[in-house]
Amino acid sequence: MARSKPPKNALNTAANARFKVGDRVRVKDLPNLFYTRTQMYVRGIIGTIAACTYKDVIPEDEAFNRDGRLEQYYIVRFRQKDLWPEYQFDNDTVQTESPERWLDPVDN
Amino acid sequence: MSAKSEVDSGRIELLEALRQAEKTWNVLAPRYGVTNPNPPWKTSLSAICDCLAASGALPTLDRRRAEDELAESVYSDVPVPERQLLALVHVMLSRSLLDESDLANRMRAVRTRLESA
Amino acid sequence: MSHTHPPGNGGADQGHAAPMVEEITDFEVLEIAVRELAIEHGLFTAEDHRRFTEWTESIGPAAGSRLVAKAWTDPAFKARVMEDAVKACKEIGVDWAEPTGFGTPSDYMNLRVLEDTPTLHHVIVCTLCSCYPRPLLGMSPEWYRTTNYRRRLVRWPRQVLAEFGLILPPEVEVRIEDSNQKCRFMVLPVRPEGTENWTEEQLAEIVTRDCMIGVALPRLDRTADVHPVHKARRPVQSSTHSGEARHERKE
Repeated sequence: MARSKPPKNALNTAANARFKVGDRVRVKDLPNLFYTRTQMYVRGIIGTIAACTYKDVIPEDEAFNRDGRLEQYYIVRFRQKDLWPEYQFDNDTVQTESPERWLDPVDN
Repeated sequence: MSAKSEVDSGRIELLEALRQAEKTWNVLAPRYGVTNPNPPWKTSLSAICDCLAASGALPTLDRRRAEDELAESVYSDVPVPERQLLALVHVMLSRSLLDESDLANRMRAVRTRLESA
Repeated sequence: MSHTHPPGNGGADQGHAAPMVEEITDFEVLEIAVRELAIEHGLFTAEDHRRFTEWTESIGPAAGSRLVAKAWTDPAFKARVMEDAVKACKEIGVDWAEPTGFGTPSDYMNLRVLEDTPTLHHVIVCTLCSCYPRPLLGMSPEWYRTTNYRRRLVRWPRQVLAEFGLILPPEVEVRIEDSNQKCRFMVLPVRPEGTENWTEEQLAEIVTRDCMIGVALPRLDRTADVHPVHKARRPVQSSTHSGEARHERKE
């Protein structure tokens, strides 16, 4: 198994990023192939891009040592009311981090 | 979330032999009047985990998933940090990063060495 | 680094030396044996282990407290923290590149500081494995690592916070930050009223580790986290109390 490395580009330069802050996105529900950091609780849920963080190899690729493909990572914000049935507090949110390939655009 | 278990949670004889309720730090430290909440080997254990991840031998996520499973099953009655130590060794044995009889032999040698110091 | 025992019971030094656990447990022996075998099998080097052990012993939450206190008193510093937190950490003596030159395999080099406001309260968690901003806060507390905390905070945040004695008004946005990738997070709490003339040192004293995780608010009268935290058998339903309630936690 490959050793985990820091992001190759730790700067917040979101050049060529597909999404920008404020965009609405939906988390894909891809089949889990061994190694994923995309939690089940956000699968299929629509959220909003809160930040662009860095570019890095995606975890699934990194786990198998396939260097080369860099993806933009984002912090995505979700409303708790969209994640859980009968969540009582309108304003509460959750944020998680996601590589671009796990996100689909949503038309506003 | 992977459906498969991260670790074989069958009990390991060598580690089962270490289950001595009165020898965990939370019991020993008060007995000796030691106020440090952690045993002296805790930082070394943490460093082992970091080193195994850094070298690729045992990635953090794999180790933590195994530790979660074992903490809820085999070692649920062992206090931290002993539980963390046992879980680490368990997953290393289960992945053949260590050999049980080598480990038993080395433990005997280490104890002899420490007791004669 | 192995723990050596002096021969006998150290009676001659009684009253001078700190008390020690005067027996060699199987756990101590096991840790040494595992480490030696791992090094012999080439899983890692003794040098790497020594470096990580020293680093682990060097970290603690005082660094985070210093960062918060400085951000509270120096708006330009706070702006630098929000712009590039890893770079700003160097100003308070924390280098996220340690001990390898490119960070650790768990902390990386992507810190983001989450600024609370009167209407926004952050709490950090790692649902996958308990990642934590160790260079600033030291080793994570045991409760942070439990599946109890990691599974429940995202799903029942206000109940979990109530178990810590923290109840927030319903209109406040409770924002859970799940550090599931390489970013690491720390909470910058709201500076409490009544601290207007305090020095940075005084301010740092009330910024406890739990405040920087987000399960507590800084209090003028508290300089240490309350331990241990007991999980309520029946979690309190969030109420409309404002401010922070200090009530007995039931076991």
